Amino acid sequence: MAATALALILAGCIVLQALRPERRLLIVLSGAGLACLVSSLTGAVTTTRLLAAVPWDVLVLLVALGLLTEVLAASRVFSIVAVRATRLTGARPGVFAALFSVGMFFVSGLVNNLTALLLVVPVMLIVFRQMGVTQRYLSWCLGVVLVACNLGGAATPIGDFPAVLLLGSGAMQFGEYLRLAFPLALAALVGVLVAAGALARPAQDVETNRLAARLTVASVSAMHRGLAVEWKYFAPGAAALGAMLAAWFLIPSSTGVGPELIGWLGALAALLASGLPGERLVRKRVDVEATLFLLGLFVMVGAVRETGAFAALAQWLVSLPISPLAQVAVFLVVAAVLTGIFSAGPSMAALLEVANVVGRQHPPGAIYVGLAMSVCAGSSLFLTAATAGPLTQALVERAGLKGPSGEVLRFGFFQFAPVGVLGFAVILGVGMVSTLLAVRG
Amino acid sequence: MKLPARLEDAFAAAAGELGQVTASWLYLEEVQRVWPGGAAALREALGRTFPVADAVFAMAEQGRARPAVDVTRARAALAGCTEVVLVGYEADYVDALLAALPACRFAVLAHSALAADFERMTANHRGRLSPLELPRFQSWAGPRSALLTFLYGTAGETTHVVPEWLRALGPDVRTQFRVLVGWEVLQGPLHVFPRWLEQVELSSFTHLA
Repeated sequence: MAATALALILAGCIVLQALRPERRLLIVLSGAGLACLVSSLTGAVTTTRLLAAVPWDVLVLLVALGLLTEVLAASRVFSIVAVRATRLTGARPGVFAALFSVGMFFVSGLVNNLTALLLVVPVMLIVFRQMGVTQRYLSWCLGVVLVACNLGGAATPIGDFPAVLLLGSGAMQFGEYLRLAFPLALAALVGVLVAAGALARPAQDVETNRLAARLTVASVSAMHRGLAVEWKYFAPGAAALGAMLAAWFLIPSSTGVGPELIGWLGALAALLASGLPGERLVRKRVDVEATLFLLGLFVMVGAVRETGAFAALAQWLVSLPISPLAQVAVFLVVAAVLTGIFSAGPSMAALLEVANVVGRQHPPGAIYVGLAMSVCAGSSLFLTAATAGPLTQALVERAGLKGPSGEVLRFGFFQFAPVGVLGFAVILGVGMVSTLLAVRG
Repeated sequence: MKLPARLEDAFAAAAGELGQVTASWLYLEEVQRVWPGGAAALREALGRTFPVADAVFAMAEQGRARPAVDVTRARAALAGCTEVVLVGYEADYVDALLAALPACRFAVLAHSALAADFERMTANHRGRLSPLELPRFQSWAGPRSALLTFLYGTAGETTHVVPEWLRALGPDVRTQFRVLVGWEVLQGPLHVFPRWLEQVELSSFTHLA
């Protein structure tokens, strides 16, 4: 009875927050409170134990990485790189889309892609306005950049929440995840770029005029003429990030110095070295919304886990009358589709419990990375599946771009859909093939 | 050689963040690098919508070069001021003014008929120029404060300014600032209806630069 009630609360909240994203925080926190109440009243588990079981190390790591991103963002380095990249491309539409996609892939592997996008997309939008882009180009260029952000986030253990969860929970070591996931994510990025270029040909109807390119580069350069790296932020931010990467690679977790502690100390070192603005960043720029959202999810998932429901689900999966390879394939496809519908946070939090069981029968690293790729594929399916999507949509709406006939250009659910389907197929395909090969081997 | 289609939208974005005079000269010089006779085509494409650009391209057709930015008179007009509120923006002139008055604090009224990202504009000045919303405008008033705007096409006793100048400059505001400075930046006459601008009397300024 408790198991059913708690599973219903979790499923209900996941569905509700997907249907009413503007109230997702209240929905998930209410669900967490309700789960605590049901657990306590039925004697399944106490609230104290549920709260103690929250993976605080994951939350600490997320907050620390978010703050480090804020330090680097304050240095204006993202905007400067975006402007230089524009000059480098000579405002050629195809090269511009490819370079920004590759650039955001690497940026998203190191820092929070939401903050980076907030600084890079405005530069892209001003370039679009100067270029005079079409709806097709806008949809595909921004769409592929978003998919590249998702892939970058999945490429490293610190890029995005699913990978951070694997690192923070101790499921995988930093170097092991990077070794397995990075080549896959890079291969998927190349696949998406090649497929998009060949199938959609986004730049084919953008006017390529020598004067337009000159005016675009000159205008964008002039609009950012005085932008300079703020070294008081960049130096400590970059130094801390470098030191953290080295520590994650070199310090074994057997020392007790885990990734979350390295993240905590590294981010604090960067903030302290920034002086008074560092204090302001801590007070005002912590992503409270994401932290509370994940806290609520962890509590609900923890309550369901205590009832043994996830173990039963995993047991059902591994007892399906199909081959072990097919079981893994079913798991990865279901994970991708669920993520597309419910977004990465809820899906990963719940499915990791199942992956832990599936991983006992197969190489666990391959299963975890396969799950991360599936979650990445799902995050790329719909514009609403990853938080960067609605943010980019809002920035495009605010920019009021117009097409060749004066029509307003949009970047919404339907404009992103073809890119999402392509990204979903390529990423899931790469993830499944590599996972199945590893499992079979 | 032909100009890109939909040049108006691109120019509006550049003019919004660089100022109409600065953007016009930038466009002209970029086009003339590869198309020496491009001024006439630019005037044909942009002139009717952007009268300041029309005037700049007309000057270029007459063989006039981009005038050098001279801050001497503006600096003299702002003597004794420690705070300056800019109403309107011309990148070339603001860059020069900030360099000439390193001890002054500057703000720019964050309103413009042409869409502009004031965060991006002010980021070019590394903390020396702040965006200022209209409701907070008078917090910069005082005996050592100045209001400065840019003038386009001064002729006789009248000139043209951005519409925000009229919004900012009510009768109560005039007495709250030490000086009201108008700085001519077009340095030539307007030939078409002054869209995006308002006509004012030169006598409404305490100093001209």
